[in-house]
Amino acid sequence: MPTEAIDPPGISWRRVSPKYVTVRLAGWALANLVVVSLLCLPLILVVNGWWQSFPLWLAVGIPAVTLVLALWRLLLIPRQVRAIGYAEREDDLLIRRGIFFQRTLVVPYGRMQYVDIGAGPVERGLGLCTLKLHTASAGTNAEIPGLPAAEGARLREQLSARGEARLAGL
Amino acid sequence: MKPDAAPGASAGAGAGTNDGDGAPDGAWLRVHPASPFVRGWVLLAAMGFFFFRDSFERVLQGGPLVDERIAGRAPWLLLGGGIVLLLTVLGYILGWYFTRYQVAEGYVRLNTGFLFKQQRQARLDRVQAVDVVQPLLARIFGLAELKFEVADAGESAVRLAYLRMDEARQLRATILARAAGVPQNPARPGAAAAEAPEDAVLTVPPGRLVGSLILSEQSVFVVLGGAASVVLSALTENRSFYLFLIPAVLGMVAAYWNSVNRGYNFTAAVSPDGIRLRYGLLDTQAQTLPPGRIQALRVSQPPLWRIFGWYRIQVNVAGYGAAGGNGEGSSRTTLLPVGSFPDVLTMLALVLPDPGTPDPARVFTAGVNGLANPAAYSADTAVPEAPAGSGTDDGGFVTTPRRARLLAPLGWRRNGFTATDTALLIRSGRWWRNLVVVPHQRTQSMALEQGPLARRFRVADLVLHTTAGPVSPRLIQAGLDEGRALLDAQAARARAARQRQTSEHWLDQVRALGAGLAHTDEPNRQDEQQHG
Repeated sequence: MPTEAIDPPGISWRRVSPKYVTVRLAGWALANLVVVSLLCLPLILVVNGWWQSFPLWLAVGIPAVTLVLALWRLLLIPRQVRAIGYAEREDDLLIRRGIFFQRTLVVPYGRMQYVDIGAGPVERGLGLCTLKLHTASAGTNAEIPGLPAAEGARLREQLSARGEARLAGL
Repeated sequence: MKPDAAPGASAGAGAGTNDGDGAPDGAWLRVHPASPFVRGWVLLAAMGFFFFRDSFERVLQGGPLVDERIAGRAPWLLLGGGIVLLLTVLGYILGWYFTRYQVAEGYVRLNTGFLFKQQRQARLDRVQAVDVVQPLLARIFGLAELKFEVADAGESAVRLAYLRMDEARQLRATILARAAGVPQNPARPGAAAAEAPEDAVLTVPPGRLVGSLILSEQSVFVVLGGAASVVLSALTENRSFYLFLIPAVLGMVAAYWNSVNRGYNFTAAVSPDGIRLRYGLLDTQAQTLPPGRIQALRVSQPPLWRIFGWYRIQVNVAGYGAAGGNGEGSSRTTLLPVGSFPDVLTMLALVLPDPGTPDPARVFTAGVNGLANPAAYSADTAVPEAPAGSGTDDGGFVTTPRRARLLAPLGWRRNGFTATDTALLIRSGRWWRNLVVVPHQRTQSMALEQGPLARRFRVADLVLHTTAGPVSPRLIQAGLDEGRALLDAQAARARAARQRQTSEHWLDQVRALGAGLAHTDEPNRQDEQQHG
């Protein structure tokens, strides 16, 4: 399904590192391993005859549906990663994400209160980092995951410098 | 490390010796000596109750003061109780003694604690609001608490409990004057600032407050719940449903009482220091919101209030943070608990002294009550281009395109936006009418959001992020092209507005404005300056 982007036209987006797919896959595997094995508990109980009253089709159905949904989300991950983008404009930073539920965020440099860089174990192993901008609003939630470490450091310095130049109060 | 205390402010005398014309600048002052007892009276009362309840009951019944069985141990018990009491009082006194505050050099400083010391300083020009609160007991003793809010969205930055009422007002005036950038008198650098004069703008009569509560949503739930339980108990012939009603009724009475207590005698006044709100029946509160501290504002009207044309205004202020479930937070973020439409216009004029449009009343009326004329939509491309003077005039509001009317069959002619030179107006809701106003220079960041269904109809939501509070501005289902254009335009407008706002000292801005007006000749430049 060709989808029309909601972002303003004429912007050349910079994409995050394709290696970020691995990070998302690791997170996906861990989360779904836990969830699916938990949901398999009724099945184990029923098969071993410890829980007679529970219908078998339900015990099979719940983990199966969860697994199918998880696999579907697995297929989406590469496209979701490709959909993450950011663009530095003269006075603000644009961040976009999402395919089905798209979101394009505009953060003026002068509004930034501080910039965070973080890296989880998988990200660190791949030389990636996650950059997060904070404004006075909790709703901003401006995050660029999967940046190469050098690019993250460059962006942080760039954002700090630009933020200082255009500093505005609240 | 003990901060060097001013010798004059010794224990016992403390803040009490500072009379009306204020302390010398930079002196370390203490709060009123009675304040720990006013604050901690509940604890003292509980201790007294715990120790003397038995004896008191026995005396009432004509028995001896002390039970025979523990008569031998009575002195030890008394001693123990006395020690606990002494320790508590000593703790109060030490806590009071080591609490000092100072207003100097653009900062307010507060030192507290004697085991774990805390020194806090907050910049005066970062003030978001100053509140003077009087709980009932403090009010009886003529004391007041002063809260100094900065943009932290959490607890108050500096709470001084308690000061004498005139001291609290004096301190508030000093803080606001320093924060505003009022030049100090060079002859008397330490002189306290005179309190800024204020003009009352509007009051909410008690009758209207009670009426608004009766017509509020919770009353509808009360009536529905009561009717449901009566019907249920009649049908099942089971009386126990009435039992469930008792706690519910108690809760409702408490809620209504709370609303009346907090909203009673609501008065709004304007002074050079900002908007001043006073309210309260038993506990009174006076809030001062300096100019430009309101981040976002919402005018709303529940369906039943439409009978009398009443509205409510809530605001986001950085220092107040998100209003939790507790009544205090929500009453602090209420700019007008209930008011008529002229009251709403008055308050909007206070918040937005420059509405950035030649005819603010028309725009705000359209925002609060307006509905796009279906005739204004031609086929599918419909943007009513604000036709001046024509019958389809809707205050320039751009609403959801007709193609998306299935997404919001009732609200599509309401959901819309318009931008003046100084603020973005977002309206929504056919039954629960809402109008959100966000000044351009207060926009933090923005996002366009679109789900699969919205994409099918080529519409998108625009979310404006502001500081935490009851108002969360969201433009629902704008046309995709209009939304995109607005995202770009709004970023540019917010940028321009921020560049005009240069100083945290609000009087500086007014002065710069005055200077700009004096030195300029071209009328168009003058216009530009006026919007600053």
